[in-house]
Amino acid sequence: MHEYAFFLGCIAPNRYPGCEASAIKTSAKLDIDLLPLKGASCCPAPGAFGAIDLRVWYAMAARNICLAEDMGKDIALICNGCYKSIYEVNEKLKHNDDLRDGANEVLAEIDMEFKGSIDVWHLIELYYDPKICGVEKVRNSVTHPLTGTRIAPHYGCHLLKPAKERHFGDSENPMWFEELIEALGAEPIQYRNKMQCCGAGGGVRGYDLTQALDITNEKLINIEEVGADALTEFCPFCQLQYDRGQLEIAEKFGKTYNLPVLHYNELLGLAQGMSPDELALDLHGVDCKPFLEKIL
Amino acid sequence: MAFEKNYNDPELEAKLKDTCYYTSDANPDFLKEVERISRTPAHLCFQCGTCTGGCPSAPRSSFRIRLFMRKATLGLEAEAVLDPDLWLCTTCYSCTDRCPRDLAPTDVIMAMRNICFIKYDTAPRNFMKSVQAMYAYGHVVPNNATNMAARVKLGLPEQPPTVHAYPEFLAGIQSILDHYGMKEKADRLLSEVE
Repeated sequence: MHEYAFFLGCIAPNRYPGCEASAIKTSAKLDIDLLPLKGASCCPAPGAFGAIDLRVWYAMAARNICLAEDMGKDIALICNGCYKSIYEVNEKLKHNDDLRDGANEVLAEIDMEFKGSIDVWHLIELYYDPKICGVEKVRNSVTHPLTGTRIAPHYGCHLLKPAKERHFGDSENPMWFEELIEALGAEPIQYRNKMQCCGAGGGVRGYDLTQALDITNEKLINIEEVGADALTEFCPFCQLQYDRGQLEIAEKFGKTYNLPVLHYNELLGLAQGMSPDELALDLHGVDCKPFLEKIL
Repeated sequence: MAFEKNYNDPELEAKLKDTCYYTSDANPDFLKEVERISRTPAHLCFQCGTCTGGCPSAPRSSFRIRLFMRKATLGLEAEAVLDPDLWLCTTCYSCTDRCPRDLAPTDVIMAMRNICFIKYDTAPRNFMKSVQAMYAYGHVVPNNATNMAARVKLGLPEQPPTVHAYPEFLAGIQSILDHYGMKEKADRLLSEVE
């Protein structure tokens, strides 16, 4: 059993609790134990806080990392935005004395210290990593394969980019997420400009919603072109943008897609036999029923 | 007949010899500040435009990341940081991965936003509201009644085991924000527009 401190972030626990519930339950079946990281805050959002004052971003993220250091556990998380904040701040503070000293000066006021003793992982990379779990183990955990469904993958931005500060290799046309989708019995599909951003990041969703939705709309057009039963990602913020965004696009641009958007953990939950009620799929803006009817 | 290039105008001669770019708005320290915050040597940009070419915001707005790179090098501080387009970057880092000079234009944008907020006392409203939410709840997107009910149905605790369920941690979060005077500044900037 591999144990990790489970960093929740904001959108997963406070908007899509199904992501949180399914992450815990599905990981348990893959021998990954997610322990609550008590007292964690927002990561803080890289677009919102890193943009206005990087020093605050470093200190706030370091505080969350310190909580896990006290537990003596590596952090696992399920959101690309959180990954950028927690992973990147962890690495930057480990390797840059000036940044670490700056953050520690602020943390000293609340009796905390960044030591740099843990690592940060996205749950999806743990699933893919054969040393921890691996695609085969995911495949073997599936009891209700999603046979006959066509699923569009969305990688999001901050897990893979900037590539030189990550360890995922190619960020122009990666294929590893497709392997994980295929392991659930579904057919992963390719579409134009797969790696494009969902449009929500950097505070753009709050600053200029039409601009953000226009980017999302382009992605949805590209996915519609090849025909997909659902879209899957591993970032609740992308999920929010695609899911609630489709309602907003219908209102603003008069275009409807009705494309169900599911977090990979929600899909994995379905494939491991969790019921839609256990995943709170009714909280999704876009109705997931057409997709569920195909697999249940 | 051999001759030297000469316009017979001493004033023009002096101007032509001077290869520096001058403008009354330029601040040479701006480039240094941008490079210090962004930790990328922005002046190495040779303006190829790969960044703008792959930018998801560029086709649908006047946001041009190459222009901001140029303005950093030229020291056009106020012009760059007070441009409303500055906040249209989704921070997708496509430009950073594709830059043939191995620069990080995204981080240059972030540095300019930092300067805009810290030095020019200016930021979009939604960013200030995020600060207020963070100060009040420790989450930028806090829990709500619908979500609490859904959590209970899923067998999760009503409040996630974050600062929501352990409010004693909120003081530490507020202390960090107070250290930089964030809450005060956010309140002030928001009250100015209302």
